[in-house]
Amino acid sequence: MELVTAPANEEEFVDLVDGLVADPAQLMDLLREDHPFYNERGAATVVHMRGWVLLGLVRAGAVSDDTLVFILEELDAGIDPYLVAAAACALRSYPQPNSALAPFVMRALNQIRYHDDPVSFLGYADYSSGPESTSPVRELLLTLGWLGPHARSVLPELESIVKSGGLSKKALADANRTLEIIRRSEQVEENDCCKLPAGLASRFSWPGKARRNAESIGATVFEDQDGTAITFNEFFQGRPSIVVFFYTRCDNPLKCSLTVAKLARVQKLLESHSLDEQIQTAAITYDPAFDLPDRIRRYGENRSVRMDALHRMLRTTGEIDPLRQHFKLGVNFIESLVNRHRIEAYVLDSKGRIAASFERLHWDEQEVVDRAIEVLDEKDEVTSSVAPRVTSSMLATLASIAVVFFPKCPICWAAYLSMLGIAGVSQIPYSPWLQPVLVVLMIANIVSVWLRGRATGRMTGPYLVTLGALAILASKIDSGSLKLAVAGIVLTLAGSLLTVVSSLNSRDSSKTVIC
Amino acid sequence: MTTKKKAAKSSRKMSSRAAMAVATDEKATTKQRVKAMSQAPLAVCETDDNLQKMLAVVRNKDEAVQVRLAALDTLATAAFSAVKFESCRNDYIAALREVAEDPSQEIRESALGLLAGEKDPFVQKKMLEGLKNPQKALVPPEKALQLLSYDVHTEAYAVARDIVKNPPSETAKQEALRLLAADAKSAPLFEKLLRDKDEKREVRQLSASALNALNPDKLQEHAREILLDDSEYEDIQATSLTALKRFGDEEELSKDKALLKSVDRLSTEAKSAKYKRSAKQFLQTYVDKDKDK
Repeated sequence: MELVTAPANEEEFVDLVDGLVADPAQLMDLLREDHPFYNERGAATVVHMRGWVLLGLVRAGAVSDDTLVFILEELDAGIDPYLVAAAACALRSYPQPNSALAPFVMRALNQIRYHDDPVSFLGYADYSSGPESTSPVRELLLTLGWLGPHARSVLPELESIVKSGGLSKKALADANRTLEIIRRSEQVEENDCCKLPAGLASRFSWPGKARRNAESIGATVFEDQDGTAITFNEFFQGRPSIVVFFYTRCDNPLKCSLTVAKLARVQKLLESHSLDEQIQTAAITYDPAFDLPDRIRRYGENRSVRMDALHRMLRTTGEIDPLRQHFKLGVNFIESLVNRHRIEAYVLDSKGRIAASFERLHWDEQEVVDRAIEVLDEKDEVTSSVAPRVTSSMLATLASIAVVFFPKCPICWAAYLSMLGIAGVSQIPYSPWLQPVLVVLMIANIVSVWLRGRATGRMTGPYLVTLGALAILASKIDSGSLKLAVAGIVLTLAGSLLTVVSSLNSRDSSKTVIC
Repeated sequence: MTTKKKAAKSSRKMSSRAAMAVATDEKATTKQRVKAMSQAPLAVCETDDNLQKMLAVVRNKDEAVQVRLAALDTLATAAFSAVKFESCRNDYIAALREVAEDPSQEIRESALGLLAGEKDPFVQKKMLEGLKNPQKALVPPEKALQLLSYDVHTEAYAVARDIVKNPPSETAKQEALRLLAADAKSAPLFEKLLRDKDEKREVRQLSASALNALNPDKLQEHAREILLDDSEYEDIQATSLTALKRFGDEEELSKDKALLKSVDRLSTEAKSAKYKRSAKQFLQTYVDKDKDK
């Protein structure tokens, strides 16, 4: 979604945002870091622009599940007083206060309290410091007050901040009011206590067929921490990878520096699972023109990153645009320098395709490793699992049918085989032991369809197969019941087919929001 | 005992609280107050009353500039301890922004410098405005560029390039180049300036240093060529020698006969003893290394 006319300057941007208050969808689109309106703007200007958009959403009454992730992102990893204050203010317009939001507000309070600069919402890029001005700490305290009973979990932490004597006179008054509100508020029953809204999109997963191929960047040349050149395909094809983005001049310690330090912890986790040779890692810089090999090597070393043939710090030797488009990176630039970026980590499959992404909010190392292990395990599944799955299912089903028609005596066996004489099997001796084997195979088919049914959440198939098996067994006990035998075969065939189709469909559902 | 005598007595060995009292006492002399200010940082954020008194001194245009500057220093020292200063920061930053447009240039520059150190967006906005429109400038262009260089993420590169093309002063040009030393796109500009014998020495040395940060391989290339050039200035050759010595490839340098010959000439013919010494050290490192092999 692009707006028709790009604003030539900040004044025009302000008019545009004010005009878009009636069109919240367009307004929300302006929160994308890669929006062209942020091209070639200084970082401080981008801060003002994004802050103004957040305040525009408040005026529009449009803070919703869709916009929540942008607000939480600012509280989670923001260090700019104006943006944190604007995010805290915007959160108070969210229609569903929830206990899961309180830790974000508290974390922001702990992070910004030593940079509690005066900010003003009176106008765009306003710096008035009169009584109408506010500050990030004051806005966050107001937001905790707004959360009221939902902020009970952070009450001890807030009390400790107040006791520390660190708050300014004005903020202290706000803090005492907030404490009073939270203490007085009655405990609320929350059905979904401590859960973020289901629509909060910060982690995505793509099943095999929905993954975009990496052809467009296959030939992109990188240089690693030692100056060794390697293409995207050479490095990223062959085994799954965990990829993060960073740049050495990032001045937010909660973003790039922490991301690369967390990558080092990811590497330790891989080592502890003995997967460091099967899953590789890479940290790619957004700022390849400045981040030369020596610079990225030292940056990695200072954060304990393991660097070798399978684990590399990388810079592109050419333009970063192809990479930016392929990963749909949440980043923008002024000339070659980053002016704003989000937190982003990716899991690539063995073909270099994006299998999962973790965006905006801080990601958990174990969760990323677990996702990479899933991708590693699917390596065999993706390439060869579908056909065997169908084949094994059909063989097990055939076993059920064979049970029905299994001959009772050597004479019947000879009669059956004589019908197959042209296939040359008429000499096979009667084998009574084969019947229990076929029954075991039939039971194995039942177990298999039940397991698949539980995995896909679709149980019709397993029920049909079980009914079919019972019917076949009943027909064997009541030897004259052909109807029961036929019903058993039909039910088994239908159930098995349904289970296989459900299982395949569940793999094909496209981009899935995990949380 | 008069106030002045009391102040004089107490200023000899004052507790930070006593120093605070003298520092904010309008009846004490400028000298006494400035001295007391230097002992007051610990007390300035002890109470809100102390903070407001100190901020009042900074804001008061009728106070002596030395006293106001000393008050700014006191606050800056106190602010260094971020945890202890937490409750005071908001009012401190507001006061700095207020006096950033003070009639006194010294006060303005001091306040703007303190804010720029905090990467304050207000200062960045004012500095860029002043560079684009000199009538709005709060400080001279070289100072504005210096303050902008504290944060690489400003929009200053384009303005700095314009200043390099049409510098209002030599100092402004050099400050603009210092700022551009973090701009990867400016590497070709630094190459050009480094090789331009008509440029001032400071500009060429600054270019060598910037090029080393932005494109060290290019600097090695140019440094070698500068050393091979007989008509090049000695001090620029010495800078090139240092660059090769610190960042060059040892293996390649020890095999480079032409280069070693030029350095040998510098070690005997240089006018400055310092440069001769530097060249000899270089030869000791690389010629001996070659012999060892």
